[in-house]
Amino acid sequence: MIIEINFVGLIIASIMASAVPLILASCGELITERSGVLNLGVEGMMIIGAISGFALMTVTGSLIIAVFGAMLAGVLISTIFAFLTQTLITNHVATGLALTIFGIGISAMIGKNFVGIPGKEFPVLFGNLKDAIPFLSPILFGHSIVFYFAFALPFITNYFLKKTKIGLIVRAVGDSPDSASNQGINVRLVRYLCILYGGAMCGLAGAYLSMIYTPQWIENMTGGRGWIALALVVFSTWNPIKILIGAMIFGGLTIIQFHMQAIGVRIPVQFLTALPYIVTIIVLVVISRDSRKIRLSTPSSLGKSFYKDN
Amino acid sequence: MKTNLTVSNITKIYPGCVANSNISLEFKSGKIYALLGENGAGKSTLVKILSGVIQPNEGEIILNNKIIKLNSPIDAKKNKIGMVFQHFNLFETLSVFENLIIDSNETRENLREKIISIMQKYNFSIDLDIPVLNLSAGQKQKVEIVRCLIRNPEVLIMDEPTSVLTEQETSELFSSLKQFSKEGILIIYITHKLKEVMSLCDEVAVMRRGKLVSVSKIIDEKIETLANKMVGQNLKTVKKKISKEGSTEQLIKISNLNFSSEDPFETNLENINFEVNRGECFGIAGISGNGQSELFQVLSGEIISENNSIKLNNYPIGNLNPQQRREYLMAFSPEDRMEQAAIPQMKIFENVALNNFKSSNFFNKGLINEKKIKQHSQKILSDFSVNTDNVELKSQFLSGGNLQKLIIGRELITSPELLICFNPTWGLDVGAINYIHETLIKINEQNKSIILISTDTDELLKLSDKISVIYKGKLSKKMNADEVTSEKLGILMGGGEFD
Repeated sequence: MIIEINFVGLIIASIMASAVPLILASCGELITERSGVLNLGVEGMMIIGAISGFALMTVTGSLIIAVFGAMLAGVLISTIFAFLTQTLITNHVATGLALTIFGIGISAMIGKNFVGIPGKEFPVLFGNLKDAIPFLSPILFGHSIVFYFAFALPFITNYFLKKTKIGLIVRAVGDSPDSASNQGINVRLVRYLCILYGGAMCGLAGAYLSMIYTPQWIENMTGGRGWIALALVVFSTWNPIKILIGAMIFGGLTIIQFHMQAIGVRIPVQFLTALPYIVTIIVLVVISRDSRKIRLSTPSSLGKSFYKDN
Repeated sequence: MKTNLTVSNITKIYPGCVANSNISLEFKSGKIYALLGENGAGKSTLVKILSGVIQPNEGEIILNNKIIKLNSPIDAKKNKIGMVFQHFNLFETLSVFENLIIDSNETRENLREKIISIMQKYNFSIDLDIPVLNLSAGQKQKVEIVRCLIRNPEVLIMDEPTSVLTEQETSELFSSLKQFSKEGILIIYITHKLKEVMSLCDEVAVMRRGKLVSVSKIIDEKIETLANKMVGQNLKTVKKKISKEGSTEQLIKISNLNFSSEDPFETNLENINFEVNRGECFGIAGISGNGQSELFQVLSGEIISENNSIKLNNYPIGNLNPQQRREYLMAFSPEDRMEQAAIPQMKIFENVALNNFKSSNFFNKGLINEKKIKQHSQKILSDFSVNTDNVELKSQFLSGGNLQKLIIGRELITSPELLICFNPTWGLDVGAINYIHETLIKINEQNKSIILISTDTDELLKLSDKISVIYKGKLSKKMNADEVTSEKLGILMGGGEFD
C-alpha cells in the first residue's frame, strides 16, 4: 500500500518537475508583457539558456557559474530584443520571431561540440527526508533549488505586481505608456528592465532543462516549450497563479499520455501527443472567462511601440 | 504666500510649424487666468512646456523670481506645478487609489489618509478601490485633480477640462477651482469656450496660430470681442429656425428597441422608442457613457437588432448591416473620426470610396475606378471647403475639423434621407463647428432628417427640433427644442426629473 502511495507521489513529483521550465519562462514573460512588451522570443531565449548552462557546466565544472551564466545569456539575448524594440522602435512580433529563429540557430552551432557529453548530477535539497513521509515526501523533498524557486515564483510575481510600488509602475506602463510618461515615469527604462528580467527567467528555464531535467545537450531540446509558455501567459489572462495551474495541467497530461502510450491504450498516438496542448488551453479559457477581469488584467498597450515625441 | 509665475519669450518650433512664437506671460496667485484659443493655436504646446512634457527651443520659465528648468514632468512636480490634461492621464485598469499613489514616495497608509481628507474637504466622493474605467468622466477628472492636490501645488493648470463634462459637473468644477484660487493656488485655465472664460476667469490671454494676440481683464471684454480676437475675423452665429408646423410625414420609427451587452463596460439599451419626421432634426442629449455609442451602433447596423424595432418608411431594417442600410439612404457619421469614420493611413480619395462599395460609378467589375473617385473627392474637398485640394493626401494629415467636413461630405454622396451623427463637432474649433452646423441645418432645409446624438447641449439646442435625453440606456420623453433649456436638460442628464 505504502509503495503504491509513494508511486502516486512520484508521478506527481515528475509532473511538477516537467512544469518547472514552463512556470519559470511564463512568469518571466508575464512581467515583460505586463509592461506592454510582447516578446515572442521565449523559445529562443530558453534554448540559449539551455546551451549556455550546459556548456558552462562542462567547461568550468561549476554549477553556480553555469546557472547564473545561463541567466546572463538570457539577459544578453533579450538585450538585443530590447534594443531593437525600445530604442530602434521595431515591431515586437517580427523582432520576437527573429529572436527565436536566431536562438535556435546559434544554440545548435555552439552545441555541436557538446552533443553526447553526459551531464553532471545537480545537488538536491532535503534528500535525506526522501522517505520520511509516505506520498508527501517524493513531492516535497529531494528536488533542486530551481524546482523550489519555480513553485514560489508565481506567488512572488503576484505579490510583486499587486503589492509593490515597482509592480504598480510596471502595470501602469503596460496600461498606458503615454500617461506614465506624462507622470514622469521612464517608460523605456521600465520596459528595458522587464524585457531583461524575462530574458533571465527564460535562460533559467532553459538551464533547468539541460542541466537538471534531462542533463545533456540535444539540439532543439526545448521542443516548443517556449511557445507553450507564451500561450500560458495569454490564456491565464496575465495571472501568475493561473499560470501555475496551466503549467501543472500541461505537465500532468504530458506525463500521463506517455504512460498511456506505454500501457498501449488504443487511442492514436498523435491525438495523445496533442492532448496536453488542447486541454490546457481549454481549461485556461474556461477558468478565465470573466470578461471584466480580462479587461482589467490585459495590458492595454501590449505589443505597441512607445515613442516620446518632442 | 504669493506665487508668481512668468514665462518669457517662449518659442517652440516643430518641423513645418511654429507652435509657440515668442510668448511672454505673467501669472500671480489669487487669480484665475484663461488661456484662450482655437485648436492648433498653441495653447497645449505652452502648457506641455509648463508641465515639463516637452522642452522649448527658446525662452525661460521663472517661478517666484527663480529661473526653473523643466526637463521632465518630475521637474514640474518638484516645482509644485500640477497639471490636469485634456485627455486624462489615468491608468484605466488600475484602481483609483493606485492611480493616485503611483508617483509618491509616502507609505500607502499615510497617502490613504491624506487622500480621504482632501476628498472630504472638497466634497469629492469617489470609491478609492474600484478601477478607473468604471468612473464617469467627471469623476476621472476629480481623480486627476486630487492627484495634483496631494502634492500641495502652487500652480494648477487645467487643459480643456470641460470638454467631457456635463453642465452640473462643470459648475461643480468651477466652484472647486474658485475655492483653490482663494486658498492661494495659481490657476491657469486653457479653453476655447468663451462662456467659461467669462464666468470663471479674472484675466484672459488670447492665442492665435502660435502667437499671443492679447492679454486683458475679463471685465473689459465681451464674448463677441474675445471671439473675434480668437478667430481673427468676425463670426456670424448660426441658429436654426424651428418650424412650428413642420412635416408630419414619418421617416424612421424606433419601437421597443432593446440591446443587452455581454461586455460589462457597455450600457444596455432599454425599451427605446422614438420617431423622426422628414426634415426634422432629432437630438439625443446625455452624459457620455449612458448608451449613446450603443444606440449609434444599433441605429447604424453595427449591432443588429430585432427586425421590426427599426422601421424606415415603414420597412423593417433592424437586421440589416450598415452597408445594406446605406442602400435605404441612411448615412452615418460616427463619433471617432480617426478610428471609426476614416482610416487615417489611407488617402483621402480611398476613404471617400470606402462607404460606397455598391456604387457602379466607383467600382466596375471589382476594379476601382480611380478617376471617378478622385473627381468626386475633389468635389467634396471644394464643396465642403476642406483645407486641401490634394486627394492623394493621407487622411491622418487632416485636422479634426477638415476630416469631419470630409466625412460629412462623403456621407452626403448618396443624398441620404437620414443622417445619423454622433458628436459631429467634438474637439473642433469654432470655425469648423460653425461650418458643420450650417451644413446640418442645410440638410434639414432640404427636407432630409437628422438624428443628432451629442454630449454638447448648446449644439443640440441650436440644431434640434425635438430633443430627448438618454440616461443609463433609457430615453426620456420627447421635448420641443424651443421649450427646453440647458438647465432642464442637465437635470435629466444627471438622472433627475423636473416639473
